[in-house]
Amino acid sequence: ALLQEITCIFLCHLFIPIPQQVSLSENLKTQQVSISWVGGEATTFDLLILRTELNDTVFYETVTVAAEASGQSKFLWTSAEPLECTSLSFRVRSRSGQLTSDWSSTQILQGNDSPTDERMQAYPQDKTVPAGSNITFCCIIGEGKSFDSFHFISESINVTRLSRRTYAATVYNLKPSRSYGHNAYCKGKTEAELYGAVIFVGYPPLFTDFICETHDLTSAVCHWTEPRKTQLLGRRQTRYSINGRYGQNRKQCSFPRWEENWKLLGWNPLGEYSLTDIADVRSRVVPLPPEELSTVANARNATVTWQWKLNHYVSLPLVCQVELMSSDDKTKRTFSGVGLRSATLLDLYPYEEYSVKVRCGAQQNFWRWGNWSKTISFQTDSEIPSAPDVWMWMNGDTTGQILWKPYEPRKSHGPIVSYEVTLWSPDDITRHTQIVSPETFAMPVNLSGISINNTKVIASVVAKNPAGLSPPESLDLDSEAITKVDFREGAFPLSWQSDANSSCGYIVEWYEASCQRDCPVEWIKVGEEITNVSIKSDAFEPGVRYYFSLYSCSSEAPELLKRWEGYTRELAPSSSVQLSTEQQDSDILISWSEIPSTHRRGFLLGYNVYLNNGSQLTKLADWLIFEILATLGVTALALIIVTFVCYKKRKCMVHIVEKPEWDSSKEVLVVIPEEDEDDEGQGIRDEPVDTDEPTSLRYYNQVVDERPIRPRYPDSSASSASSMDSGRTDVTYTGIQTSGSSLVFQSDSQSSSDQPLVVPESCGGADGGYRPQMQLPPENDNASLAQSHSLPESQACRSGGYRPQNNWQLDSPDEADERRSLAPSLGSPTSIASTQFLLPDQSSDELAEEKHQSSAATWLTNLLSTTKP
Amino acid sequence: MSEDPPEQEEQRGSGAGLPGSGTGQAGRAVALARLLHRECSHLLQLFVRRVSLYVNYTPDGGRIVSLSAASEEPSTEEQVLVMHSALRQCLGLIHCVILKEEEEWGELEGDYESMRKNVHQRLEYLLHTTKALMETEETILEVTPDHQCTEEVDGSAGVFALKMWTYRVLLELVHWADHAANTLYKLQSEREEKDQN
Repeated sequence: ALLQEITCIFLCHLFIPIPQQVSLSENLKTQQVSISWVGGEATTFDLLILRTELNDTVFYETVTVAAEASGQSKFLWTSAEPLECTSLSFRVRSRSGQLTSDWSSTQILQGNDSPTDERMQAYPQDKTVPAGSNITFCCIIGEGKSFDSFHFISESINVTRLSRRTYAATVYNLKPSRSYGHNAYCKGKTEAELYGAVIFVGYPPLFTDFICETHDLTSAVCHWTEPRKTQLLGRRQTRYSINGRYGQNRKQCSFPRWEENWKLLGWNPLGEYSLTDIADVRSRVVPLPPEELSTVANARNATVTWQWKLNHYVSLPLVCQVELMSSDDKTKRTFSGVGLRSATLLDLYPYEEYSVKVRCGAQQNFWRWGNWSKTISFQTDSEIPSAPDVWMWMNGDTTGQILWKPYEPRKSHGPIVSYEVTLWSPDDITRHTQIVSPETFAMPVNLSGISINNTKVIASVVAKNPAGLSPPESLDLDSEAITKVDFREGAFPLSWQSDANSSCGYIVEWYEASCQRDCPVEWIKVGEEITNVSIKSDAFEPGVRYYFSLYSCSSEAPELLKRWEGYTRELAPSSSVQLSTEQQDSDILISWSEIPSTHRRGFLLGYNVYLNNGSQLTKLADWLIFEILATLGVTALALIIVTFVCYKKRKCMVHIVEKPEWDSSKEVLVVIPEEDEDDEGQGIRDEPVDTDEPTSLRYYNQVVDERPIRPRYPDSSASSASSMDSGRTDVTYTGIQTSGSSLVFQSDSQSSSDQPLVVPESCGGADGGYRPQMQLPPENDNASLAQSHSLPESQACRSGGYRPQNNWQLDSPDEADERRSLAPSLGSPTSIASTQFLLPDQSSDELAEEKHQSSAATWLTNLLSTTKP
Repeated sequence: MSEDPPEQEEQRGSGAGLPGSGTGQAGRAVALARLLHRECSHLLQLFVRRVSLYVNYTPDGGRIVSLSAASEEPSTEEQVLVMHSALRQCLGLIHCVILKEEEEWGELEGDYESMRKNVHQRLEYLLHTTKALMETEETILEVTPDHQCTEEVDGSAGVFALKMWTYRVLLELVHWADHAANTLYKLQSEREEKDQN
């Protein structure tokens, strides 16, 4: 065996040549060493790499390398550590099977840890690596210094000693560094011993959407996007070139001439990337944004014009988008044309703020829209407003409100400066116009001063803005808007004319009139062939007013066709008025408040004013019957000035004045002649209903109610010339109800047959008119005067008038006897009284002075004898 | 590092003397130096935060800017002249920092870059103010940067070395700005005392 071994060694060395001319070539950046040698015929070699100082093996492998033409064999080895870290020794031997040559001579790659370089060092310096890489750092401690620790960013890392002064540490799976790199550093034993390296971790270039376009069919603008940041800055950031020409480090480059082929190349320390774009110039036209936009605006349209910076566009077919923006809307409108420079925008709103901007593209071979122009704003002109949305609400026979809605946006067509409300009657050319502020949306109306002979009143509302007046919106304020309906046979009979627009029948709804909100509403639906219905309900209560509304049913929203109101039975008002007086010399000003609607419990007809001298009540209507109809909202202000000027014959003149603002020409001074005293009641009675009523009553009717209300005849039994020196004035409001225009008050029972009657068009017919009705008093009812106000059913039917729905009788026969001479309504269930003392002024005339004692004597009596409500 | 003089003193110093007078100029110079010192300190904080530098590092090798007075016990005016010379070198250093950082990182726009620009301009203005304060017919003061910015930073070319060198420069700026505030305050006090006498 020994011989064999000796023989082998001899032969091996004889036939396997030792590699010669071993040389090293290092690349510090790549940490690679190229080892070359001349190995003869051998192709297999053992390669040994050691760290020189500590003789640690770094690499020992058998490699197969073919000799180059020059006879040299080369092997490229990559070091895990930077080559500067420490010195490395390289040796090579040839191998043939199990036989090897001797090792070549050792070649040493000198590291930077030699004693001649005493500096503290760290490697690799400023290396750039892809994210996810592993990297090994090394630190060379200063000569004579001691190693303490190694840190990567802020983390301490375990190290491996490579040589006397060199320590290495490996960091795995590197994350992208911030722009300023990751710090890797070593610390010595003192604070001043610190040195390190910066590693930059990022990505190679990557970009997309490389496109070249032209604005002028000649030059080119190429741009691209970078979907991933390389995380590298400054000298490590990506550089670009297009078709070999370097651009700036932007994502866009411009070229004076179009080229068919474009190639973008980008590179950074981690690699390079390229994209190409091939296109005909005509298919890549992107017009520049239009400039110098201007507008000419009218009320409903505007023309936008713009200029082109380049003359190339003059002959270029263009398609342009105009984006129109208003406060709540944004639309794009498209226009086209050769060298387009204007666009007319139609269907604009008047007096509207708009903003507009424009962008264009090539109409042929459209590529994409150019950038938007700058935005400009304009305002369209004003235009007359559209007709206002007007409605009415009649809260009484002659009073109500004209209501109109504030304009919705864009309906006013300009700032509203005022509204003009005009009321007129077709029978009267006089128009009553009132101009109100733009913040006003309702106006109370009283038709009593406008309507003549109970004709309808038309209300017209127009709005005014700087452009002018809107078309009028008119409404008929027909006092018959609400028709009274009686309650017969346990139901409210309603009837109406067939409505052509009602395709699916009718809806009748009803509810309590006094209900303000969350009202329980009931309704029924009937077919279109039905034109009358009787409304019954267990919920109906006496003394409660009900509204009935008829709507047509169609494909559109239900339309209100007609309204009724009525009571199942009317009751006396449940509260009295607030009566007050003011003495003005010999005049007494009597005023009283309005009765709340819920307390009326019946249709309020008017007020009687009585003078109570202590022993008896004297209706002032001995000379004149006051019937002051309740005009809601007005009554509380209505004043009656009663001036008592007593004559020797104890006749008094009554001066009636309506509200101060009332047309003074309508004031009436009524002088009742003394000789009329004896037969005043009869005289009045005898007057024809329509034409011969006393002047005072005609005036009264004009003032209070334009309808042809007929006064109830005065109570002649109370015609005694009462003492006027002291007394108590009572105001009663009687439960006699008026109806619509068809209502005619009947004269008293004694003369009813002689009185001309206004016969309604029908009785309980299709017009649904409300006719007077009441529960007839017993034959022996001692309230004969009250009976005089009743209307027999037959007459009521004939007249179509209203029948008070009450038991018109005094509470007791005795009381009736006691009050027999008093006003017919006073003390009745349908009236209620308020009392106010009238004490004459001390400085009154002699007669007044004379009567003062009497007044004082009866004061207490008067106080205690307040009229029963 | 010495503390800033109390704000009250700063108010007094900056407001003392009439405009254009020696004490007024000195007061303005003191206020300017104190402002520069605060801005340099802030710039140092921004830098450390930006480059994630090891903050306990204490550079070895002494001052970058090192000057010796002409005499062993220099007068206040002589100290101001030395200070002026040091500030010129500081101006050169911050100018060099800007050049090298922009070369390395590109032209960025952040808090650090903004404050760096402020410090550069404030330092120039302080030099002009000091020149106006001290210049006489016999004493001609320059305000140009006294640093060529041609040599490699601390003999190394790596980014880590640049960071360390920048850190040293900023420490130097903080030091000399503080020194300038104290020296100028001393000058102001002496001139006020002289004016009062």
